[in-house]
Amino acid sequence: MEVHSRDYRARARSIITETPEVREAVTAATQTFVEHRLEAFAECDEHALSGWAERVKSHALTHLGDYLEEAEARLVERGAHVHWAETASDVHRIFETIVNEHGVQRVVKAKSMLSEELSLNPFLEGCGVEVFETDLGEYIIQLLGEPPSHIVGPSIHKSLDDTRVIFHERLGTPRDASPERLAEAARELLREAFLTAELGVSGGNFLVAETGSIALIENEGNIRLSTSVPRIHVALVGIEKVLPRWADLSTFLQVTAKSATGQPVGTFVSIIQGPGGSSGGEPDGPEELHVVLVDNGRTRLLADPEVWEALRCVRCGACLNICPVYRQTGGHAYGYVYSGPIGAVIGPGLVGLEETLPLPFASSACGACADVCPVRIPIPHLLHVWRQRAVERGLTSDVERSALRLLTFAATRSRVFGWAGRMAAFLPEWVLRRFPLLRDWSIGRETPKVDGPSFRELWDEGIE
Amino acid sequence: MRVSLFVTCLGDRFFADAAADAVRLLRSLDVEVDFPKNQTCCGQPAWNAGHVPQARQMATHTAAVFADADYVVLPSGSCTAMLRHTYPRLLESSAVAERSYELAEFLVDVLGVTELGRGLEGRRLAYHHGCHALRELGVEEQPVRLLESAGAALVPWEMDQECCGFGGLFSVKTPEVSVAMADRKLDTLPDVETVVSADGGCLLHLDGRARRRGKPIRFQSLASALWEARDGGA
Amino acid sequence: MSRDVEESILSRDARGRILGRVREANRDREPVSHPGSLPGAAEPPGPFGVAGQADPVGAFENRFRAAGGEVVRLPDEEAARAWLEDFAGGFESVSVCIGVPDALQPVLPTAPPSEAALGVSAAVGAAAQTGSLLLSSREGRRSQLLPPVHLVWVRAQDVRTTLGEALEACRENLPATLALHSGPSKSADIGQILVTGVHGPGRIIAAILGNAL
Repeated sequence: MEVHSRDYRARARSIITETPEVREAVTAATQTFVEHRLEAFAECDEHALSGWAERVKSHALTHLGDYLEEAEARLVERGAHVHWAETASDVHRIFETIVNEHGVQRVVKAKSMLSEELSLNPFLEGCGVEVFETDLGEYIIQLLGEPPSHIVGPSIHKSLDDTRVIFHERLGTPRDASPERLAEAARELLREAFLTAELGVSGGNFLVAETGSIALIENEGNIRLSTSVPRIHVALVGIEKVLPRWADLSTFLQVTAKSATGQPVGTFVSIIQGPGGSSGGEPDGPEELHVVLVDNGRTRLLADPEVWEALRCVRCGACLNICPVYRQTGGHAYGYVYSGPIGAVIGPGLVGLEETLPLPFASSACGACADVCPVRIPIPHLLHVWRQRAVERGLTSDVERSALRLLTFAATRSRVFGWAGRMAAFLPEWVLRRFPLLRDWSIGRETPKVDGPSFRELWDEGIE
Repeated sequence: MRVSLFVTCLGDRFFADAAADAVRLLRSLDVEVDFPKNQTCCGQPAWNAGHVPQARQMATHTAAVFADADYVVLPSGSCTAMLRHTYPRLLESSAVAERSYELAEFLVDVLGVTELGRGLEGRRLAYHHGCHALRELGVEEQPVRLLESAGAALVPWEMDQECCGFGGLFSVKTPEVSVAMADRKLDTLPDVETVVSADGGCLLHLDGRARRRGKPIRFQSLASALWEARDGGA
Repeated sequence: MSRDVEESILSRDARGRILGRVREANRDREPVSHPGSLPGAAEPPGPFGVAGQADPVGAFENRFRAAGGEVVRLPDEEAARAWLEDFAGGFESVSVCIGVPDALQPVLPTAPPSEAALGVSAAVGAAAQTGSLLLSSREGRRSQLLPPVHLVWVRAQDVRTTLGEALEACRENLPATLALHSGPSKSADIGQILVTGVHGPGRIIAAILGNAL
């Protein structure tokens, strides 16, 4: 996908000032997620769960080669085709082959962030294939031509009225249609697509090595339909999605759902071992199952001595929901498929620090995300690691570097420090505002008053 | 008992009166207060922005300044967190870390203070928990209990634990988002006369935003509020 | 060379390179051991705080209802048939999965799954912890998914306390797809307002047969 992260500040500013309703919608939605998550974990020993889940994922990652081979062997035994893709263009080539071989004209897609990362929709459309996003939120933003704003709720930045407008234009529903009526209109149109598409595409929440199972979590039933009704099912699975054992799955299904939406488990979970239909000796289901194991930067992240831990991520979105920075803008400001705190950690690892540069700095370092991660990814620490690297590689601004050098010079010489403080008190505000950092401070804020005595002056005078 | 006060760079320049109140408060509790005059900045602005060598230089300076202190007490949550959690990584020594306390934390956890006085009788306050005090130091109950025991009504604020958007250089690198975060805090603020916080950065940011919006809210350092609680402010 | 063969050769090269990079990345890394079973999972209430160890069917019912599902408990086959006759009266057509015993099939005209008013299936298990019915693709998926109403038979003795136990019972003989259905299809993607029956069945009824105790 195209990465627009370098424009983070401009994008954030435009969302905040030009579309204040986005900020309201995102704040309301994420607060609801946060409340539901709290309720869901109230009855649990959250500490025990996250500690265990962290270990299992770290174990899987430090034994990833063996587990990928095990999962592949199980899937092949059950008659699935397993493909390996290093890059987005590898994935495109695999799809091109399948589309040409089977004369695919229609594709139904279950929500997959990986498919966004791989720019799959534009590629398929370029092949002349009609692509239907079937998750209701994805469908709404597909109609609007927008990328997802949130890992779990792609359309959380849109209001009921936004959906009314676009459905009115595109599906002919009444301008004041109820949510039920809108959902029904989407259901009718997409039902037709499910029944006529030759190919269903999904992602994969987990890949269980022991049984070669792909697990998918959802609420609408569109994933079940996408992976059951068309003749061919292609599952895109990031190589980091491995769980070692079948016995690990039940806990991860629950922890992910609780963290994401506060549900005990997703309304529908599909656990897929192989093709169905006559190939699988079953009454229906896809005759062909293709599993594409995707790298696309993940091995680079795995090789990182610090940030590799971020590969534990289960994409629950809890860190986005709790993040006060994310809440002001939603995901579009980040200019990258994965937004919020986790996006700012994995983005630089997957596509490079220079391409995603301001993202590790798009955080007030409040630490709230660390408390909600179900696999204990030390997100604030990893953001800081990227900040250090940005400085080491000379990617931060000259102004900032000079300012901090001056501060350090003064702060290691107490007499200079005291003198600089006194000077600041004498400078009029209009002069202070010419300093770049203070100029940015005065965007939306009055500058602090520095006209009184400093503490060290009070101390010298004597404190009564 | 003897403590060394680390007023911090913001405290020295912008909250001198509050730091003086901290001295009065500690003295009133029979604590001898020392002010090592070579102290400057803890290095947090550099650390936060990823400038590790500069942060280490400031940490080295600060650790030397407080090398002989029995206790280092700071009227700041985030600088205390810097000393406690980051200094051991920068300096390979936890000597300063182990002896550093945020003011309210020191009063409650070290001195065992449960009540300072009744100087806040009838006052309606909201308390803003600075992120680092709350999440890195685990200071949550201590300031609240001290304020309430002095008669203040701490009005529930649904966003009292959410970041105000200061975040050090974040406030100037991403000012629009930073200000929007302050607005969220201010827009959810209950009807109170004063907002109290242990963190100077948060106070400057929230106060700057409230003044720009013409909102007549008073922001007060925890140190001054606690000195008032002691009835010394009267 | 056909495209298919070409593709598979390219994929094999990619496989070697990806696995090579994975192993290289982990070469100097301290391996983390698997922590084994989730501590305390076997002892009530366990880390998920599951209530209802003594009465998994009751606990299942609570969870399933909380998610918007309907539950009917039927002590024996006779009661089940009587209830079914009454229930079937509200529908014009049915599509029945192949695992459903004749006695538990409603007397209604059959229709293809995409047209039937009611789908009927039989669960291979259930989990009280999450309020989930376990459905096998061996009995056919379309009847579980396409009709707007889904009736699922489940035997009380097959309702396990935890999801882990319910999944473990299926491990040896997994179908192509094992599915969990834990309530009606729902979405909050339109303005954060909850609507049911988006793509899958908007009504799901768990009919629990017999007594577990």
